Amino acid sequence: MIKIFRYECKRLLWNKFFFGIGLVLLFYGWQVLSNATILGISHTAPFSPWSFGDYLCRMMPLLWIGALFFLTFFTSAKAKRMAVLTDATPALPGHYALARCSAAMTATALLTFACLAEAAVFYGWYFKWYHWGTLLLTAAAVLVPPLVFALGSGWILGRCRPWLIYVWMLLPMGVQAVSLPSMLGVWNGSFFTEYPKTLGMMDPAFTMPPAAIAAQLLLLAAGIVLLGFRCFGTERQPV
Amino acid sequence: MEIKIQNVSMTYPNGKCALKELNLDLKSPSLIGLLGPNGAGKSTLMKLLVAALMPTSGAIYVEGRPLSKMERVLKGQLGYLPQDFGLFDELTVTQFLDYMAALKGLRSPGSAVSEAISQVNLEDKAKARIRTLSGGQRQRVGIAQALLGNPSFLIFDEPTVGLDPEERIHFRNLFSRTAQERLVLLSTHIIEDVQSVCDQIVVIHSGVILFSGTPAGLIESAQGHVGVFWEQEAAWEDGLHITARVNTSQGIRCRAVADQLPSFVQPEEPTLEDAYLYLISREVAQ
Repeated sequence: MIKIFRYECKRLLWNKFFFGIGLVLLFYGWQVLSNATILGISHTAPFSPWSFGDYLCRMMPLLWIGALFFLTFFTSAKAKRMAVLTDATPALPGHYALARCSAAMTATALLTFACLAEAAVFYGWYFKWYHWGTLLLTAAAVLVPPLVFALGSGWILGRCRPWLIYVWMLLPMGVQAVSLPSMLGVWNGSFFTEYPKTLGMMDPAFTMPPAAIAAQLLLLAAGIVLLGFRCFGTERQPV
Repeated sequence: MEIKIQNVSMTYPNGKCALKELNLDLKSPSLIGLLGPNGAGKSTLMKLLVAALMPTSGAIYVEGRPLSKMERVLKGQLGYLPQDFGLFDELTVTQFLDYMAALKGLRSPGSAVSEAISQVNLEDKAKARIRTLSGGQRQRVGIAQALLGNPSFLIFDEPTVGLDPEERIHFRNLFSRTAQERLVLLSTHIIEDVQSVCDQIVVIHSGVILFSGTPAGLIESAQGHVGVFWEQEAAWEDGLHITARVNTSQGIRCRAVADQLPSFVQPEEPTLEDAYLYLISREVAQ
């Protein structure tokens, strides 16, 4: 299955879409960093976890779209026609799905890495600030749960109806447009603009209230369950 | 390889009954031609054989054991070309076949891929991306992936669609050679393909097997039911199933099949196509 993983990575990464969304992501990211993040969020330093978290939340819709677009390689009508051939091979469906899932995760991780690397370059360029390790927790808390959920839910939806993936791409935009309870604030970025103000000090250390941690863990768990269901759930339909 | 299909019925959720109480024994080595009009149930039968569908009733046995228990074993020995399939357009022919070889778990994929490419005459396109191939070349890639690893059971659903006459003859010969030691099931509309290579024929209509036997047996069943006549001399054409109409300088020469040939029809030796059409027309009339 390592060979399948390599070929799937090649299909996902060596195409116009990957380079296109990569360029859009970098352009938009630089705009966010140089226009919003540079000012610092909620009276914190531009390179504080709070400002960095806000930057990642603003990038999330593009990363979400990217992750879901990778899935269209596996769920489109064309991919289903290809599945007629792959289903007739002795490969275990779960292992095959896992190899493809890993490829989609790798491609998503590369887009995410581009975002993180851009921020690192920005902080080094403007502020000579290189303590990137202090931002890893924020990055993990903001990015991992929704992207795993995007892959899990998107794959299940795409299997039901390929076009549902495109509808699902709009979800982060919808989430950012509505006001969410504070425990879900990480999803639309309001957590990073509102929560530091409630801590009653200038540039507070990064913390998350238990409710927000629980919400992120729940989202991550849901994503893992959905991915597991896709990889190891019932593969063959009666008809 | 031995496959037994016992009382298999298949009804789709929309209520369409594709197969009715089908019984069939397939044993290697053999090249079995599956004939039938559109919607007869040929593709459904093939999907059942590759475990892409499960029958609503009845059972399929592989080497005496139920298919549900032998699915992986069967797929390990299976080469399948469906009627409608997709390919990864981003990959080259060699890469795609290497991908399929990995899924098939072949031990020496490099040589298997080279062999399959040469069997389908695609050496000059081996490094070409699939998106640049013509329809016929894509069909050949489909055949190549089915032949990968010399499987002992091959299922081809309309394999010669989109191929030019020369290619068709090439593949007919290839199927014939392949079937010398294997079980090959060939579904097609092109009776010429079946006539030239198959040692057994199964005719399906409306989910029921109308005939199972040798091509000679099918031709024999139409003896005395095929004839020719001049259209202008025909007193009537009711009950006649006209299979060909040729314009000549003397008028229109018709070829027809019928249960009872009228006096103005001159009997002719039936061809396999006549025999097939006679069988189907008789079934439709009933």
